Amino acid sequence: MGKMEEDRIDGRNANQLRPLACSRNLLHRAHGSARWSQGNTIVLAAVYGPKSGTKKGENPEKASFEVIWKPKTGQIGKQERECEIILKRTLQSICLLNVHPNTTTSIIVQVVGDDGSLLPCAINASCAALVDAGIPMKNLAVAISCGLMEKGSVILDLTKSEEEKLKAFAYLVFPNSPLTVIPKVPLSKEQPIEQGIITSVTHGAMPVSGYFDCLDRGVAACAAISEFLRRSLQKQSPEDTSRAAQ
Amino acid sequence: MEQRWGNTWRPTINEKQFIEEALRSEIRVDGRRLYDYRRLTIKFGREDGSSEVQLGETHVMGYVTGQLVQPYRDRSNEGTLAIFTEFSPMADPSFEPGRPGESAIELGRVVDRGLRESRAVDMESLCVVAGKSVWAIRVDLHIIDNGGNLIDAANIAALAALSTFRRPECSVGGGDSQEIIVHDPEERDPIALTIHHFPIAVTFAFFSEGNTLVIDPTYKEEAVMGGRMTVTMNSNGEVCAIQKAGSDGILSSDVVRCLRIASLKAAEMTTKIKEAVETYNAEVALKKVKRHPLLVAQKITVPDVAMKEASFEKMKNSDGDMESSPNQASTSRTNADASVGRPKIWDPYSTSAPSISSSQLPGTVGTSNELNEDQIMQTDEESKPDLRNDQISGATGVSSAIHQQNSPPKSLKDAVKPKNKRKKNAERSAR
Repeated sequence: MGKMEEDRIDGRNANQLRPLACSRNLLHRAHGSARWSQGNTIVLAAVYGPKSGTKKGENPEKASFEVIWKPKTGQIGKQERECEIILKRTLQSICLLNVHPNTTTSIIVQVVGDDGSLLPCAINASCAALVDAGIPMKNLAVAISCGLMEKGSVILDLTKSEEEKLKAFAYLVFPNSPLTVIPKVPLSKEQPIEQGIITSVTHGAMPVSGYFDCLDRGVAACAAISEFLRRSLQKQSPEDTSRAAQ
Repeated sequence: MEQRWGNTWRPTINEKQFIEEALRSEIRVDGRRLYDYRRLTIKFGREDGSSEVQLGETHVMGYVTGQLVQPYRDRSNEGTLAIFTEFSPMADPSFEPGRPGESAIELGRVVDRGLRESRAVDMESLCVVAGKSVWAIRVDLHIIDNGGNLIDAANIAALAALSTFRRPECSVGGGDSQEIIVHDPEERDPIALTIHHFPIAVTFAFFSEGNTLVIDPTYKEEAVMGGRMTVTMNSNGEVCAIQKAGSDGILSSDVVRCLRIASLKAAEMTTKIKEAVETYNAEVALKKVKRHPLLVAQKITVPDVAMKEASFEKMKNSDGDMESSPNQASTSRTNADASVGRPKIWDPYSTSAPSISSSQLPGTVGTSNELNEDQIMQTDEESKPDLRNDQISGATGVSSAIHQQNSPPKSLKDAVKPKNKRKKNAERSAR
């Protein structure tokens, strides 16, 4: 890590993330809400719990999700639609779909600030909002953006200027690391928990070895982010009353 | 879609009767008096021209952006102002995405009339080259949470955002003075908009055939009310817009009463908004000033002119160390990698770390100084990340700022100590 000669514009190290902040339960009408910020990229996500009925074309034997992506300004275009689709598929894979069949859960994502890594930020925010709403899930999803520099080194958590300059970068989503009940077993750093990758979105051409480098770094970073996510979700203890009745 | 309709909140008969009964004794369900506003909070985002307004449970965000366009032919020397309202589906389960509903359009029109048609914002100063190029200002209002009285909240959000919006300075240059050069904000300071007056919208709700009149209805009261009227006035006592669309009729004497109440409320609201804007501008100015210490090498005890004298004195007295670090971003898991010539960062491992953004003023710096020098945070977390601490653990290689306390300060300080060559290590270990 000290071998990284190239400095990033904001002075971070290759493996350093921007400051993370997560707060839950911000809105009064929404059943669940969360605000996630990574540096200057801030996303607000709200969840309205299971409503009866599914849309046309959805499987009525399972719960379905509806994602609405709201950009900061401007019309909704193709890019926003793409983000909606990716988000929907990611969240569908982590939620338990058999608990409430024939229902639709709506997730609304509002972009408050965009400084790169917008999709990972949105995924993290939506995950926290789903937890806040109490939607049953298998595990949480933790997302990170990895960029590949020219010399093959991987940098994490890209800003907008870095995304524009890099030849290739990827958004990766992993399931969060499970909470071990065994106290203080020092996890050897060489074996990250293999649980598979939920979502991967790449931009630009990268060599295969570069992609696998990104994956390795991504897994390690997501372990740290999922720690943070777990801690911040536990902090605000659940004395809030259920809003689904209102 | 039936599922949306079925999911709209409807008041129960009990709620309806309770609200009306309470109003007959001149109390409201949340304990306010009839002509009281809910608590108003105005916050600003990181960029110029973004505001977040919370009026009780109602939450509205406003963003202002500007673009150079060709002017309208009949107004060739005036800029344009356009207001776009987004009723986000997250605000209310009955808001649907896509086409704006009636209330969204009505809100947009009322805010538009109040701001644009009353000429609150000076349009002629937005002209760059008459007939060719003018600034088109676009205000986006996002309704995030519907707690009732969206018009007033959205209006305040629009005004707050417009007050803090800065457009880049542009000049006419080029060979035949036809080329327009837009200057970078770093080179030339961007310019604020000229706002002549602040039109404030005040919404009244009528109950029981106009006998009871309240201000700032909550969404439960809105579902139960008989009618509503919105009056947009400024602090000069001028009526900018009145909107009363249908429902119960009210006497003209009541209308006059409303106007009188509205003018009082408008004056109050104007002062609140102006105060919030001034506080924000002061913070921004402070932030600009603090940029300079970063470029100076991390010499200790160099009297940096950019820092406020008072705070500097106090810090000097405390430990003789003067490393102002605007960023307190990193925590935990520090490791042996020495900082490679970047300015050293103050480690805010103390217990009350999160109280960051308020501690910009020298007064608070001074008070916190007594507790622990780690609590002296010169800026808030929004400052440039280029001052991030690079002491991170090797293996996972991740350092993230966590905005809550996650480990007892002592252990982290112990972890950090061997790396730092600061003088205050001696002090700390002595404690």
